Amino acid sequence: MPLPRRQFLTQASAGLAGTLLAGLLGSVPGCAPARSTVQGRLRGAGHALGHLLRTPGKIPPPTHVESTDVVIIGGGVSGLAARRELHRLAPGQRTILLELETDTGGNAAAGRNDRTAYPWGAHYLPIPDERDTELLAFLRAADVLTGYDAATGWPIYNEAHLCHDPHERLLLHGHWQAGLVPEVGVPAADRLELERFLAEVEQLRRATGPDGRDLFRLPLALSSTDPATRQLDAETMAAWLTRRGYRSEYLRWYLDYSYRDDFGVPAAQISAWAGLHYFAARKGRAHNAPSDAVLTWPAGNHFLAAALRQQGGPGEVRTESLVFGLREASDGLVEVLVYDARTRQSTAIRARQVILATPWHVAKHLLPSPPPLPDLAPLHAPWLVANLTVDDYPGGPGQPLCWDNVRYGSPALGYINAEHQALRGFEPDGPHSLTFYWALPTNPADPAAARRHALASSYADWLTLVLTELDLMHPDLAAQVTAADLWVWGHGMVAPTPGYVWGPARQRAAQPWLGGRVHLAHTDFSGMSVFEEAFHQGRRAAHAALAAVPVA
Amino acid sequence: MGEESVLTRRRRARAAELARASAEGAPRPALLLGSVAVIATCGLLYELIAGTLASYLLGDSVTQFSTVIGVYLFSMGVGSWLSRYLGGSLLRWFIRLEILVGLVGGASAPLLFGLFAHVGSFRVLLYGLVGLLGTLVGLEIPLLLRILQGRLAFKELVARVFTFDYVGSLLAAVIFPLVLVPRLGLVRTALLFGALNVVVAGVSLLSFTETRPYRRRYLALIAGALLALGAGVVEAERIQRYAEGEVFQDTVIYAQSTPYQRLVLTGNHRGELRLFLNGNLQFSSADEYRYHEALVHPALQDRPRARRILVLGGGDGLAVREILRYPQVEHIRLIDLDPAMTKLFRSNQLLRELNKNSLHSPKLEIHNADAYAWLRQDTARYDVVFVDFPDPGNYSIGKLYSTAFYHTLRQRLRPGGLVVVQATSPYVARRAYWCVVHTLQASDFTTVPYHAYVPSFGEWGYVLAQAQPGTWRPDGEALPPNLRFVTSAVVGQLRAFPPDMREVPTEINQLNNQALVRYFEEEWGPYGQ
Repeated sequence: MPLPRRQFLTQASAGLAGTLLAGLLGSVPGCAPARSTVQGRLRGAGHALGHLLRTPGKIPPPTHVESTDVVIIGGGVSGLAARRELHRLAPGQRTILLELETDTGGNAAAGRNDRTAYPWGAHYLPIPDERDTELLAFLRAADVLTGYDAATGWPIYNEAHLCHDPHERLLLHGHWQAGLVPEVGVPAADRLELERFLAEVEQLRRATGPDGRDLFRLPLALSSTDPATRQLDAETMAAWLTRRGYRSEYLRWYLDYSYRDDFGVPAAQISAWAGLHYFAARKGRAHNAPSDAVLTWPAGNHFLAAALRQQGGPGEVRTESLVFGLREASDGLVEVLVYDARTRQSTAIRARQVILATPWHVAKHLLPSPPPLPDLAPLHAPWLVANLTVDDYPGGPGQPLCWDNVRYGSPALGYINAEHQALRGFEPDGPHSLTFYWALPTNPADPAAARRHALASSYADWLTLVLTELDLMHPDLAAQVTAADLWVWGHGMVAPTPGYVWGPARQRAAQPWLGGRVHLAHTDFSGMSVFEEAFHQGRRAAHAALAAVPVA
Repeated sequence: MGEESVLTRRRRARAAELARASAEGAPRPALLLGSVAVIATCGLLYELIAGTLASYLLGDSVTQFSTVIGVYLFSMGVGSWLSRYLGGSLLRWFIRLEILVGLVGGASAPLLFGLFAHVGSFRVLLYGLVGLLGTLVGLEIPLLLRILQGRLAFKELVARVFTFDYVGSLLAAVIFPLVLVPRLGLVRTALLFGALNVVVAGVSLLSFTETRPYRRRYLALIAGALLALGAGVVEAERIQRYAEGEVFQDTVIYAQSTPYQRLVLTGNHRGELRLFLNGNLQFSSADEYRYHEALVHPALQDRPRARRILVLGGGDGLAVREILRYPQVEHIRLIDLDPAMTKLFRSNQLLRELNKNSLHSPKLEIHNADAYAWLRQDTARYDVVFVDFPDPGNYSIGKLYSTAFYHTLRQRLRPGGLVVVQATSPYVARRAYWCVVHTLQASDFTTVPYHAYVPSFGEWGYVLAQAQPGTWRPDGEALPPNLRFVTSAVVGQLRAFPPDMREVPTEINQLNNQALVRYFEEEWGPYGQ
């Protein structure tokens, strides 16, 4: 089973999507599911509009001028959280949020078919650390959190939003087992190693440093400054595992799966600090759920993004708006140059403060040239997300359909049952809406290559890939696919590569720019693309903006 | 070499007689007499099949057999009388008749089963078919007698024909209960013997030279009839595969696969109807009154001002039947997922007799929808809600027993409202039962657990849940007349739990843990449910 993945990785780093497909298909003889009847289209985050930034000559110069207090560039979770925080702290401030896409939400995008809403990206939030009172207050206002238990003080979550049972299943040795940690048919030596690893991270979960802070925490800025722990950021997780004597293929697969799911890359490409943080920073507690519970919605985290936007007050939100320049104006203001793709006209917005909530590869084009931080190079793996409508129940031997369904040894990340959170008492035998995730392999030496090839591949290429994976999970189900919409993310999410999280470049990027008037807010400046980080990135930037300009 | 036996001599004499007859170009009596035996077997079998079927479907086997035999024999008389109007080529008439008897007789059982759920009056169909079949069978013997007339002496003719007739009947009467019903079932037996009638037609057609002019046309007809009966066997296989698999102890009289479930209705000679959904018994007509009286009356006996009632599940109309005993109830809303279920119980005569036509009550409003989805968009409020869902045997249905669901339900209650939930067996699935009780408590209800003995099910559990504590009394004394199970004294007794069903600690059933489904699986698993 692990062989196809290795082969896949090698082939993919070699380049062409065609070879990439051949690598996977070649290892699985006889798998070429029919796809002539599948309806759907290939989508992607508006890279065509975004790439205009590289050719500024094609953008018309501004024809009008507006003014406001704060401009927020980027309507992902960081930008929306910044907007919400500004409204909360200073409701009198005028804000304009500019978003490149047709909808806000960023990676927390969602779609809808005639059956259900489904996620196009981030799709769950582990129940947060209950010390994260700001995040809990947001969840309370969004009715995700309904109150606190009088005796323990622990949060009570809205049961409809907690991931319903059964949560996860893993196809291992031809049988679906409950849970994703390999168990059924796993040799005793491997089981012991899995247990040893989980016990070790459990210990780290409770551990505090000499400064009294938790060794690992979210937001990660609150983690201990203990040098010995931060030293873990210098080596790869794979090296750490080898050093600690973890050799089990099952454990290694499980960890690679987990890291690819959150960071887009496997243990060999992230730092040991991040790899341990993944497990050891989960400290959520709830009155009505175990500490490993997650919150999820049919539309995934778009639900949270929509709640952030809704709690952000009346400030204007402009979509399909490409910001192509930032410059200091004479009167101490910042001028934001924005191109409206609908009117095909550009505007200069004069603002007292700007929150730049875009990924670094966008932000660096907007900040004064030359690029201020040549050593800040966040790695983003490209992602494929596929929403399939299948005409039959995806069952199989063992555990029935769960929220998260994963195949052991697969290079893909499995699929989410988009209808899992539906409040109904009947599970139809008929059509189901499944969302596949696939973090595409990336060579850290040349990440652009994987992205170029990802964007060059056709709908049919991707569909063949997804159907082959589906066929391996559910023989015969690939023939039952009636619709498939695909989304290729050129830049998925940031990977905490060694040295990224605690290196100097990231921390310098967080400083204000343009005379203290531009504040960066994005998970690229965390090194981990998770909702909690984005939320706090936005909050931090909002506080910085308000501190720079006293509330009128 | 020994002396010729009497038997051999007789045989030789008969052979000579036959040779003489065929030399004269006349029909061969031996062949026709053999046909008599077959015809007689078939004729009696149709009668037995109709009688058995009627007792399965309508119950009261003595009455059903008696009336079916009466109508059949009378119709045979009618057929015999009508035979005088047949003239011309008698052999040709006989061949036609055999094809017709084969088709009608063969189709009788599949038709009766197939149309049982769909016709307004099943008895009209039953006696109509029995009458037609009896008439056709009644034509057979007189026609054969006339064909053989002149070929044999009258005394020989009568003696032989009736001997073979009665031998055939004996054969039928013996093999029907011993071989055919247990091995083949009613539908396939009917189709098989229908085919035998058609084969008699075929043999007659091929054995007599005088049939040559119309042989080809009739052969095609016979082939068509055999094909139709064969197709019926295949179809019967589909309808009856559950019965053949010995899943059900009784005869399957109706089966339908809907997008939601498989509905199977069975009957037996005691007239007992049982409904199975996905193979799980929902009720037996013999004791469902215990289940439904226990579901409805403990709550309503103390609700003299209950106006609006909600029933979730219960598309059989049996709970509604009990609710309609209370004149103060003005409006009942029934939410059942499967339109096929409510349609069946609204249209079929026997089922309407069982639910006393409750699904046609002007007070009732039926919606075919998912109860959870319905409740979430509902804005009405109810005095009493009866929750009669299937047992929590899978994760989907488990959601309908969760704190989230009960919170939603609670918002639909009027102040002082009541909910009654069917909650599986506290004897077999003790933790599952108490898990439902505790889940209702965790959803801010004050609970009154109780149970009743329903022979088909065993000990069965219910939970009465009050939105406000202390608003329900067991001695409301407003029980309607003519109940067969629930009395004021019984309401008191139902709440006593002996030690083997007494409360045990359990988890609360939530959407995110589905504790109930796990308990249910563990506890019912050994029973093969």
